[in-house]
Amino acid sequence: MTGETRELEYDYSRLVVPFGPVHPALKEPVHFKVFVKKEEVVDVGLRLGHVHRGIEALAETRNLVQAMYLVERVCGICSHSHTTCFVGALEEIGRIQPSERALYLRTLVFELERLHSHLLWLGIMAYEIGFDTLFMFAFNTREAVLDLFEEITGNRVHHSMNVIGGVRWDLDGRMVEKVGRSMSKVREAAQRIREIFQDKTVEERLSGVGLLDRGAAQELCTVGPTARGSGLKTDVRKEDPYAAYGALEGSFSIVTRTEGDAYARTEVRIFEIFETINMINEILARLPGGSIRPGETIIRSMNRVPQGEAVSRVEAPRGELLYYVRTDGKGGLRRLKVRTPTLANIVGLRQMLIGGEVADIPVVVASIDPCLSCTNRITVIDLDKGGAGEPLRRRRRKWPH
Amino acid sequence: MAALAALLASLPAAVFLSLLFEGIDRKLHARMQGRIGPPVTQPFYDFAKLLNKESVFPSSSSKAIFASAPVIAAASSILAGAIPLASLVAGTSVVGDLILILYLLTMSSIMVMIGGSSSGNPYGAIGFSRKMVMLIGYEVPLLASILPLSLKSQHSFSYHGIVQSQVGMGTCFAFAYPSSAFAAAAFLACIPAAAGVVPFDVPEAKTEIVHGYLVEYGGPHLALARLAKDAASFALSFLALTLFFYHPPLFEGHASLGGLASAILCVAFAPAMMFLTVTVPRTVFARLKVGQAFKFCWSLPLTLSALSVVLSAAGF
Repeated sequence: MTGETRELEYDYSRLVVPFGPVHPALKEPVHFKVFVKKEEVVDVGLRLGHVHRGIEALAETRNLVQAMYLVERVCGICSHSHTTCFVGALEEIGRIQPSERALYLRTLVFELERLHSHLLWLGIMAYEIGFDTLFMFAFNTREAVLDLFEEITGNRVHHSMNVIGGVRWDLDGRMVEKVGRSMSKVREAAQRIREIFQDKTVEERLSGVGLLDRGAAQELCTVGPTARGSGLKTDVRKEDPYAAYGALEGSFSIVTRTEGDAYARTEVRIFEIFETINMINEILARLPGGSIRPGETIIRSMNRVPQGEAVSRVEAPRGELLYYVRTDGKGGLRRLKVRTPTLANIVGLRQMLIGGEVADIPVVVASIDPCLSCTNRITVIDLDKGGAGEPLRRRRRKWPH
Repeated sequence: MAALAALLASLPAAVFLSLLFEGIDRKLHARMQGRIGPPVTQPFYDFAKLLNKESVFPSSSSKAIFASAPVIAAASSILAGAIPLASLVAGTSVVGDLILILYLLTMSSIMVMIGGSSSGNPYGAIGFSRKMVMLIGYEVPLLASILPLSLKSQHSFSYHGIVQSQVGMGTCFAFAYPSSAFAAAAFLACIPAAAGVVPFDVPEAKTEIVHGYLVEYGGPHLALARLAKDAASFALSFLALTLFFYHPPLFEGHASLGGLASAILCVAFAPAMMFLTVTVPRTVFARLKVGQAFKFCWSLPLTLSALSVVLSAAGF
């Protein structure tokens, strides 16, 4: 012993529990400073920026085709949403109209992606509430969808499906049948997952937890299932149809719940799985003929995009994803801005967490389905606390514009 | 002398069986989830690996308590597993050793809890307070469920005395009297909470408070803290089997082989108890919140054990 005395005192009236940046409940780093009083959360501080990757700046150094592969890597779950959004903006700038079949195939992969994303999320949610068996079951079900991706596009995660003016891979009759068969299997599994989530122990953990009322949801501009769980009837697929959603408008409906708690958000996602399966079956039934991509080289398509700017929105599995794209007319990008759905939803977390219990933090955080490294667009540097900002700014200047 | 030798031999046996039982539990858990699961020997590898690692002491901890707590915890729960084994083998036991066994199990929980809270980590502190609540939740019905057995076996609190009174009756306590049947149900319902598995793993809930009181432990100390937990669930399932389900025609064994044979038979059947009370709950339930867990403990098991005490006092 060194002889020094050490005081060990806990101020239980206001204990600061660091939640993250490294925490088993978080798939990715984010830091919540949680002020707790016994088991009750009294305040929450949020800090983002641990995994800022500089994707926007990097995209400005590349040409449009290269940037497509880059934006696909913004997210490891909704990769197709990002390319669809990006390519939507490019096609708007270049006034390029993809063929009907290409749009349907884009939509098909988009919905398959929503399916696997929601299944993944249901598994994560089960894990957060300590229900490992359901986690395993959900992930096993999701595997069927990933296998479909692999067969359709050759890749399980980053599908590289979109090109300017079309898609890369076609579906033959055998594959159409196979997707249909898988869908009925997934539907059965999803039915079981729904039944398990209706179990009392699960409901007890989720209902009344992480409340976000309709007014707050609207005020904080939440999107996607988070907003729909609070009763906001919002869905880009209906409001601003892209790809083939305009033609498919009648084949799906917006799922909303008014309770605004974690259970409502769970229910929204479960029922969206069924909506998605219906839509996939509809797409398979109505798949039009024709070519899937323009008969010209990628470079030629790229060069047909003039100087211009566009905003593009898609309904990613987590909500509205927004891209602002400004092209330079020479096959490059002048500016790219990505607003991922999590950024819109994460500000609602403070509201949801305050007044809750420590035990609910992982459930509430998971309930918005955060995708954090996709969200990290900026790194905030406190210049008063250290001079780390200066070298970073200098490095930024070196990147060409 | 023979009893002492049996106890000494039972200590390594209890360690071995605790780890083996964890392996069986993990395998069954995995199979029920549709996974292949780790080999049954995995806990032995884990234990050996952790023993060879470095123990890190956080600067905010009070080192003496932090370091000694897992050692005492492991020692108590291994002893709690070894005493019943030894008494079955030797065919004898000390007066009141059943109370000792149950208090050793409590001791093990309390020591891990104190060790966690001495780490100076806020998660450890939350784990401490949650474990405290859980302890109050399950200890009362657990202890109360033993009373009817004592009343039915000439007011004995000797473990071997209670087991032998089942031999005298020719049937096991779970089916002998209504009171002891309720007691068996209460005891079984308490095991998941006492063993600290899902749905009652609130004190260490890894997605909420990062393993709570275990958060700062690593290396040999973590190995011992985990061994303490394994030994506790082994001891609990072994106790449940021998106190309530020691069916004489099944477990008495051959006279020539004596106590050893019945001890081996009991060990062979104890995984069934563990499967029912540890593996199945943790496979089919989600984790409860601490309030919900406490409410459960004080509703179902407490009612059952209170009922059994009242019934046994009334002579049923």
